Amino acid sequence: MTDQSFEEFLHLSVDLTAFEETELLGTGLAHQYLAKVRAACGGEVVSALLDAHRAARADAADGVGGHDPAVLDRALRHRIFSDDRLGPVARNVIKLWYAGMWYGLPPEWTDCYGARTAAETATVTAASYQEGLLWPAIGANPPGAKAPGYGSWAQPPRIDDRYLRGGAK
Amino acid sequence: MTASTIDNRDDLISYLHAAMALEHATIPPYLTAYYSIRSGTNSDAAHIIRVVAVEEMLHLTLAANVLNAIGGTPDLTLPGFVPTYPAYLPDGEDDFTVDLRPFSPEAVETFCRIERPGEAPGAGSRLVRTADRARPVLVSSPTVEGMRFYSIGEFYEEIIEGLEKVAADDPGLFCGDPTLQVGPEYFYSGGGTVTTVRDLDSARRALRAIAAQGEGLDSGVHDADGELAHYYRFRQLQLGRYYQVGDRPDSPSGPPLGVSWDDVYRLKVSARLSDYPAGSELARAARGFNADYGAFLALLTKAFNGRPGLLQDAVWYMFRLRDGFNRLVRNPLPGSGGLNAAPTFEVPTAVDSGPHAPRTVGGTPRAVTR
Repeated sequence: MTDQSFEEFLHLSVDLTAFEETELLGTGLAHQYLAKVRAACGGEVVSALLDAHRAARADAADGVGGHDPAVLDRALRHRIFSDDRLGPVARNVIKLWYAGMWYGLPPEWTDCYGARTAAETATVTAASYQEGLLWPAIGANPPGAKAPGYGSWAQPPRIDDRYLRGGAK
Repeated sequence: MTASTIDNRDDLISYLHAAMALEHATIPPYLTAYYSIRSGTNSDAAHIIRVVAVEEMLHLTLAANVLNAIGGTPDLTLPGFVPTYPAYLPDGEDDFTVDLRPFSPEAVETFCRIERPGEAPGAGSRLVRTADRARPVLVSSPTVEGMRFYSIGEFYEEIIEGLEKVAADDPGLFCGDPTLQVGPEYFYSGGGTVTTVRDLDSARRALRAIAAQGEGLDSGVHDADGELAHYYRFRQLQLGRYYQVGDRPDSPSGPPLGVSWDDVYRLKVSARLSDYPAGSELARAARGFNADYGAFLALLTKAFNGRPGLLQDAVWYMFRLRDGFNRLVRNPLPGSGGLNAAPTFEVPTAVDSGPHAPRTVGGTPRAVTR
């Protein structure tokens, strides 16, 4: 596992999940998640996914280190989500981050692209349920873990401005 | 016998402010070591550090009760309340500092020094002259410039004697508003029973409880309640074995205790905001933690100034701080040679500070409006 592909996996995950890199690394599970995608789909599919993402970011580059979000959105749909091989894998990466589970890909995918291990649904580690992004996304704690403290439920959930309608980007 | 450095109520108030700052100052180093431990590993060590950190929170509350009882005003938002790490320790040595370190032999050695029961060789040396230096000191005499205490236990002994002396001359010393006292109905499950203070006897009890649990003058391994003093709790990590009642200090005979020094996030020692890449997402997260911590200290200040019920909210503030701590320590700190980030405890000067400011919820994230 090279440092470069890990970095690229992080960048891909930032674009797929809408969570910042600090939050993704803050789960402590980024390395395990990349290893899980590799183990499920094989290194070749992962390389192709990272290549497609790099190309999508290049499409949207604004020339000064940033990118145009609308162009990036279109490029991701065009290069990744509408691709029969890469689309289902990218959707699974989103689910992996949000739910901490690898959901088995359907037989249609494994029949075409091999990688039978991709069909097996599995939890990555005991920590991945607790670290699922769905919990911070809704401003709640995972039931049974990360106790929020007595009475905390009387407070409204804290959600970053940028995720709220009308909030700053 | 050195002349007392405490002559009146104002001196006592200065000392008790210093006591609160001291009790608090031990907490960030303990939390840094605690949260550096990878989850699911080092359960013995994590438990030991956690117990001690929670007892320091009790000590902070006890010191606030004594301060309130003599008419002082606890304020955890004062500039300098949170020291700049590394900070020097008051145990008579000038050759080591307290850092914010990941769990490591060095961290445990520092914890032992913080908690070492160091009765001065003679009462005459309770106060020692501070070396000339710019670094902050955890415990110095607030009334005699350039002097600091041989140990934390000596510091509390000085306060107890000062209370006795001033109370003898001034029957109205304990004039504080009794409704400001934080009792066991507000502070519970937190390292022992909190004592409310209304007279000399209860003040002595509160301060002796601090001394007995932690850094005190008792040289026994266990205190009268059979509880292990902090120093010996940490010694167990160095000696690899638990103490049992009746053990001598250097030979615990309880079950062996496992430590795995490698199952730890390698954190930048005493990280500063200036170690974070300027303008980065990670720097924003570190500043966000400091802002949350500042808001938490402001909340405690209100709790100690007539709204003890806010200690219930302090519980969920602490859980949020826990989540922020965990997030930072799992992030690599760019440019640090492979180390991870850690909270810097550089608390910003709060807009919402002081005991009488209105209550707000701190931090960047905004509450969802319904």
